[in-house]
Amino acid sequence: MTHFDRRSVLAATLALAMGCAGLAASDALAEADYPTRPITMLVGYGAGGQTDLVARATAHVMSDKLGQPVNVVNKPGVGGAVAARELKRAAPDGYTVLFNSNAMINLAPFLMKNAYFAPDEFDYAGMITAFQLAIAAPKDAPFDDIAGYVAWAEKNPGSSAAALAPEARLYINEIVKKTGIKVNIVPVQSGSEMINALLGGQVMVAYSGGIHYRYPDQLKTIAATTTFRHPSAPDVPTIEEQGYPLGMDTRTTLMLPKGTPQAVIDKLTAALKACAGDPNFKKVTDAADIPIQYLDAAAATKEMIDSTAKNKAIVEAAGVVAK
Amino acid sequence: MDYLIIGFQDVLNPTTLFWVTVGVTLGYVLGALPGLGKATGVAVAIPLTFYLEPAAALGMLIGIAKGSGAGSAVSAILLNTPGEPSSAPTALDGYPLARQGKAQKALKMGLYASVIGDLLSTLVLIGLAAPLARYALLIGPVELCAILLFSLTFIGGLSGNSMIKGMIAAAFGVFFATVGLETETFVTRLTFGVLELDDGLSLVPLAIGMLAVAEMIIQAGNIAALDHESSQIVDGAEREDRIVTGAEWRRCIPVILRGTLIGSIVGILPGLGASVGSFLSYGATKKASKTPEKYGTGMIEGVAAAESADNAVVPSSLVPLFALGIPGSVIAAILIAAFILHGLTPGPLMFQQQPRLVADVYASMICASFIMLAIGYFGQSLFALIIKVPLRHIIPAVLLLCSVGAYMETSSVFSIYVMLAFTVIGFFARKLDFSFVTFLIGFVIGPKLELTFRQSLQLLDHRADNLIHHPIAVVFIVLTVVTVLWLGRSGGGGITQASAEALPQAVGPASGQTNEKQ
Repeated sequence: MTHFDRRSVLAATLALAMGCAGLAASDALAEADYPTRPITMLVGYGAGGQTDLVARATAHVMSDKLGQPVNVVNKPGVGGAVAARELKRAAPDGYTVLFNSNAMINLAPFLMKNAYFAPDEFDYAGMITAFQLAIAAPKDAPFDDIAGYVAWAEKNPGSSAAALAPEARLYINEIVKKTGIKVNIVPVQSGSEMINALLGGQVMVAYSGGIHYRYPDQLKTIAATTTFRHPSAPDVPTIEEQGYPLGMDTRTTLMLPKGTPQAVIDKLTAALKACAGDPNFKKVTDAADIPIQYLDAAAATKEMIDSTAKNKAIVEAAGVVAK
Repeated sequence: MDYLIIGFQDVLNPTTLFWVTVGVTLGYVLGALPGLGKATGVAVAIPLTFYLEPAAALGMLIGIAKGSGAGSAVSAILLNTPGEPSSAPTALDGYPLARQGKAQKALKMGLYASVIGDLLSTLVLIGLAAPLARYALLIGPVELCAILLFSLTFIGGLSGNSMIKGMIAAAFGVFFATVGLETETFVTRLTFGVLELDDGLSLVPLAIGMLAVAEMIIQAGNIAALDHESSQIVDGAEREDRIVTGAEWRRCIPVILRGTLIGSIVGILPGLGASVGSFLSYGATKKASKTPEKYGTGMIEGVAAAESADNAVVPSSLVPLFALGIPGSVIAAILIAAFILHGLTPGPLMFQQQPRLVADVYASMICASFIMLAIGYFGQSLFALIIKVPLRHIIPAVLLLCSVGAYMETSSVFSIYVMLAFTVIGFFARKLDFSFVTFLIGFVIGPKLELTFRQSLQLLDHRADNLIHHPIAVVFIVLTVVTVLWLGRSGGGGITQASAEALPQAVGPASGQTNEKQ
């Protein structure tokens, strides 16, 4: 299905290129008419993942609003870095956009060597959802916060914690550094593996990207590792409130090649904003416990720069060296 | 049970049946196209189901998953190009059968095995979802590690004529699986700075290159002989070559039942997946056979074993999802999102809160099995025409399909380079008689074994004596040791077999003895 989409996009590109050669159409006119042909929305993950589902719902609303199809093209690899590289090569005309978690820019570069994008390498049309990153534990665990966990772990040395990503190791290591508890870090490779490890009682705590909120009867949240409290668990304090200044936010972001005309960005921002009020979009995000936190282009750019600086400082203070 | 009757009443109406049929048909076609699998199909179709009734929507999505399991056998048999990686073992005997002019026989057996495996596994899901799922959680990384170790040892012993060559091939499979991000330190291994390799080599382009493209190149090498052969196929097809005979049914029924059992168990265990199921079933059938050396040359049992297990995995992987809300497979993980969208939150409470919707889903799953039989039966008489086309016309078309298939998953030309690289390896593996089956098994199981081993070290607090808390793991470790000892003793037999290759008569009794020991 997708390759037909791509082919029609290619055909359209070709037709436009030939048209331009003949007519030398003015840029300003093209911006005012935007969009006149289908838009390609790159997604940096495989089909079927959580962010892919949100991206498809976003594309649906945006194409209604813009009056042109928004075609989702999955370009999985390295948390979106492969797709981002493709976006950098695309023309800054608003016909190629990337829907991705901004962790690729504001967090991954400090933890892993191969991902290397800086905030000023792209333009941003806005942000639409936030990830409810958290430390989760089984519902029947004899503690409800980090202090309680530390007290329990002191009495039970050699227990295990599941780590899905490098930042998960950072959180556990920082707690270990501060308190001296003895805990083994078990690597897991997917969200469902992490849930299995928690439900199966193999680990006592785990770092979650938010999917543990789907198991309200079996799992609970110990700390939100974001700078805000989670809509799904408003009573649970953030990790910063609990005395560890380690809150790091990531959000789904609509990214554009650097140098996209302001008129085009404005139209994309307006279309993204329509998602925030769309009932079908809300249905998709509610089903996955993903809170909608819309930010417009200016706010998204500021959030990108600020969060990148903050996260960089946290990772460097923790002494993590990107490998 | 009462609910199931109501479920059938809900499902047996034209609208719902129509959408289930659409799902199965879509899945069947997607499955037959290399590179497009059930995961892509279901993910793309989820937004399309927004406007359907829950029963029709979920029936359609499960229909896609089921249909693609059966459809993937079609291209495996006709073109030696597995539509999905899990049908790779189907191609091993299905394709030789097709070249012998028995394409329709192989297709029919593949379909029947698929439908039986799928249907029985659906019944396992319905009957045992709740009680079985409690045990699924007992299988943690430590137990999984022991089970994988046992599987790898067991399969390693089945590798063609020479055990040493088999082990070399498996080791290469494990080696290529180490490419990419390492899971504990997040250091990249063997990527040489190529960003696309960070996530490792993908199974789809790798399998397409090794199986299909390499085969096409070898075929192109003796095209004159094959053209002659295929012109004979057109003329010489006997009725017995187009149907599954009674004798074959008798031989295949136990194989299908074993495949279904293996597939169902693999589906229930988290994180193994359909490829492991079909390879295990194929390996076990070959091991149990009196004539293991004939596998790979067109044994109908090979098709039955692989397809029954492949399709049994899909329904049974929903067992942990339905009973505990835990996805046992990629497809189950994607279906979670769809289920929640349509008001059914997978988990133990689902049976109390939404018994009717659960019954609807069960009923539509059973209907999908029968629809799959009908679609497959009519579909394959169309597809089977392919085999009558001369090979010189098929090869370019298959190469195109292969490239599209490799490209689809990542929308990246890099995957085509991967495919071509493994074409070269697959070409030499064939020419030098190294088993690419054990290579692929090593590639599929190797990384899971590494991960679970690392997890086990942490979970056991780095102390071997903590194993006593994991009795299931201990049982499998003992089984592994027994298998190694047994293989070691009959290992001499394996070498004898290799040297006795020139004397095919001598092979039969030797391997027969090996099987008696089993």
